[in-house]
Amino acid sequence: MLNLVEEIVLLMIDDEGSFIPVRDTAFDHSVAGAVLMDLAFANRIDTDSDRLTVIDSSPTGSAMLDSALSLIASSEETRSPSAWIAALATDEARPVRDMALDSLVERGILERSGAKFLWVFERLRHPIVDDREERAVKRRIAGVLLSDDIPDPRDAALICLADACGVLPAIFSVQEIEKARPRIEQLRKLDLIGREMSGAIEEIERSIIVAMSYMPH
Amino acid sequence: MKVTTERQGGALSICVDGRIDGSNVVEFEEAVRAAIGDEDVVVIMDFGNLLYVSSAGLRAVLLTGKRLRGRKSELVLCSLSDPIRKVFEISGFDKLFAIHPTRGEALSSLAD
Repeated sequence: MLNLVEEIVLLMIDDEGSFIPVRDTAFDHSVAGAVLMDLAFANRIDTDSDRLTVIDSSPTGSAMLDSALSLIASSEETRSPSAWIAALATDEARPVRDMALDSLVERGILERSGAKFLWVFERLRHPIVDDREERAVKRRIAGVLLSDDIPDPRDAALICLADACGVLPAIFSVQEIEKARPRIEQLRKLDLIGREMSGAIEEIERSIIVAMSYMPH
Repeated sequence: MKVTTERQGGALSICVDGRIDGSNVVEFEEAVRAAIGDEDVVVIMDFGNLLYVSSAGLRAVLLTGKRLRGRKSELVLCSLSDPIRKVFEISGFDKLFAIHPTRGEALSSLAD
């Protein structure tokens, strides 16, 4: 079974094996959020809106989670979930994303291929070679979005991540997303880490828009 | 944390005293699972004495509700203090579960 970091990274891969173009901020915060969600589901951390606490600092066995767990466990100050999301988005998101890609390649879900770019630079691509996991993840998302059942907490977290990093338009039509928007909003509220992550992304994007509106034309 | 149960008016009431967080959530889940029998169609979680609930506690409540819904049974919440009610509302639980001010009102609603 893939963890949430691997699932969200897999969803971000397009048909050519490149990442779907989304803002770096959204991608990095989503990866950071996914790490914390995975640690919460592994019973290593717990949260409320003010505090993120370590309840078990023993390694999970997954390098992409244990680096963050060790960082949080060794911190002398107790920080809020949003502060940890911001810290991990800055320091951990890229290495974790690369570890998730390595893991997906090792599992035979992606393959790694290099292509020359401007005749000199090598651009790595990760085309999907076994799409069963990808289809299963998309089926889970559709199943939860299109029903009004009580969701599994892990599925609610996955939808929160998919919405935050802007991958839903790659799965559903604009009309389908609009129709499912009330359900997406309901699911986004269920996961505290997801709520804080979405809030942080929206805040940064608002700041970017404000900054751009002051730029000379 | 202390979990006690009572069968009354055709429903199983589960009363929680204290805190539900990452340090005792497994214990909470085990107590709830052991308390709910196959015959229980309505389970009322009485949170009148619940002092604190973390994300881990909310997930445990959500999973209990999901398991019950899966077998056509219902989870109802009652007696939440204002701060606890706010936590449940911010998390959208009021859209998934009926929340009553008192256990009496929760039981009355079953008769309607």
